[in-house]
Amino acid sequence: MLVSDRHGHLVRLNDAARLVLPDAVSGGRLSEQVPAWLADAHQRTIAAPAQGTSAELPHGAIGERYFEARITLSGGDVVWWLVDATDRRVAERALGDARRRSEVLSEASSTLLSTLNVPRCMEVAAALAAEHLAEAAVLIAPPQGRRCSLTYACQGDPVVQTSRQVDVTGVPGLREALQGFPPVPARWINPDDIPDWAIPDGFAGSVGSVIVAPLPGHGVPAGALILLRSSTEQAFTEGEEVFARLFAARAGAALSAARLYTEQATITATLMQDLLPPTLRTVHGVEYAGSYRTSKDHERVGGDFYDVHPGADPSEETLVVLGDVAGKGLDAAVLTGKIRNTLHALLPLAEDHQHILNLLNSALLTSHHTRFATLALASVQRRGGRTQLRLTSAGHLPPLIVRTDGTVEEAGTRGTLVGALPAVTARTVGTVLAPGETCLLYTDGVTEARGGPLGDELFGEDRLKRALAECVGMPGEAVVERVQMLAAQWLRDGRHDDMAVMAITAPKAGPLNTADGHASGGTTRRSGW
Amino acid sequence: MTHLPPSEFTLAFRHEPATLTVMIGGELDYDTSDDLLDEVSRRLTAGRPSPADVRLDFRELASIDSSGLTALLMIHRRTSALGATLHLDNRPAHLERLLHLTAVLDHLTAPPTRPEARRAEEDDGLAGAGLI
Repeated sequence: MLVSDRHGHLVRLNDAARLVLPDAVSGGRLSEQVPAWLADAHQRTIAAPAQGTSAELPHGAIGERYFEARITLSGGDVVWWLVDATDRRVAERALGDARRRSEVLSEASSTLLSTLNVPRCMEVAAALAAEHLAEAAVLIAPPQGRRCSLTYACQGDPVVQTSRQVDVTGVPGLREALQGFPPVPARWINPDDIPDWAIPDGFAGSVGSVIVAPLPGHGVPAGALILLRSSTEQAFTEGEEVFARLFAARAGAALSAARLYTEQATITATLMQDLLPPTLRTVHGVEYAGSYRTSKDHERVGGDFYDVHPGADPSEETLVVLGDVAGKGLDAAVLTGKIRNTLHALLPLAEDHQHILNLLNSALLTSHHTRFATLALASVQRRGGRTQLRLTSAGHLPPLIVRTDGTVEEAGTRGTLVGALPAVTARTVGTVLAPGETCLLYTDGVTEARGGPLGDELFGEDRLKRALAECVGMPGEAVVERVQMLAAQWLRDGRHDDMAVMAITAPKAGPLNTADGHASGGTTRRSGW
Repeated sequence: MTHLPPSEFTLAFRHEPATLTVMIGGELDYDTSDDLLDEVSRRLTAGRPSPADVRLDFRELASIDSSGLTALLMIHRRTSALGATLHLDNRPAHLERLLHLTAVLDHLTAPPTRPEARRAEEDDGLAGAGLI
């Protein structure tokens, strides 16, 4: 408590006040004895006594403590009661900080998690850090080869991203942070040690304090964050350091999610290079056309596949494979790749379908699962005007043959699925395509497309055959398009399996055809050889 | 013709001396085939002397896809290893068609052949050794 008169002199102070203001002397001018905020409050009270009690209490620091001043007017004197509010003040400030920080964190999370693009994620993380945590932030991604991807953010400047070779040991604690070790306390880092590459171009002045925080990822570090504050600003407090770590944890989680996603997308893309159906064309005088629609339209690889392995020259057979692997997703895609590669290696033996199916079966057989594939094989050779086919189904829907007279034949081949049984059997049938005739290989995604007027009916083989009967004389590509279109219309928006369709078509007109194509039609064309 | 919602996958079990009967209902597909395999495998190896016959009853089966067939093939492998015979009862037309198309009916319902059982065990042994 201290008492002063209306002229601004300190009249008296009690023992408690003396402890707080050890230098104050009774009789001295208040403005010289107490901190300015209290002297000002005193002046204001004298000038306008009525307002003294209604307004917010005068408050301010005295030494290291924080006080509120309550007033009592006693005669001509003013009695100031100083109340130590340091703890409350600290608590309030902590609460305010905590609120602000949790807002920042939730903003960070929602912004960061809204993108799965790694560079964008790093950009957002660096920008948020520069805005809320420091004056500038540098985000370092784990080195890829010799280079590191660096993201620089400076308050008020656009974010800059580069990739360059840097010496991470130059920044104290950075190498450890990139390995996922706990951060080095900021006070251990000498700001003068920070190399130039770790300071954004827009950063004015010299570095005053530094935080190096690891970005913890899912199991592996997602990078590290360097926070910089210039020497004119207050150094990072311990609370700010803790907060920086919290922020880094969120940023790390988001970044590593983005990175995992990107890695998976890259793996899928790499696999797809090999797994995507090939572009088909005319080979040795026979037209090949194919089309593939995966069960989920955003996926490009599924359980169906087809391949055309052209013979070395027109005198050799071309092997056509269309298959369907049980299951979905990456498992199915991997098995698909295995089958396609194995069949490729078995090409020299393609004259005996049963034999290559047996070899393929043993190659796929494993005790771990019974995931299997069904295949349709076609060996195609154009001899004179006749397109000769050998067809084998291994547990697959039999190929359909569209004749020039509009009949649709089902090839009489049947065999065991491959990859699950100790041995497989299959029967191969031969047939001949006259010019304009098409042999269609397809997967059950087409016939089992569920839809139609009632929404729950299968497209079915009969409907497919009727549709094919209207495709007489069409080029292979048109037949394939037509089948896919009809199945898609049938489905409308329904859920469906992968759908693959392939056509082997003897062209109507062509150099070989004009030579002796018509002569070979008629009675002989439907027999085997 | 009424418009029915997709029927729910159901499994029911009946244990008799020497026979395990499994009633399978609904859609046996990619989402449900693991359930079937796990449940049957668990019951095959659950303490009591393993059954001589395992009957899968498909009376209530709404549909089956290639994943469902994968599960049947795996169940057959397990029953063969135990020396049990697998029976596929009350097969609806669509299942019959799938089994005919893939030519696996004879294999699935053949009496257990010890050679295959041994072979599967050897494979497992080899895989185990490979890991060490």
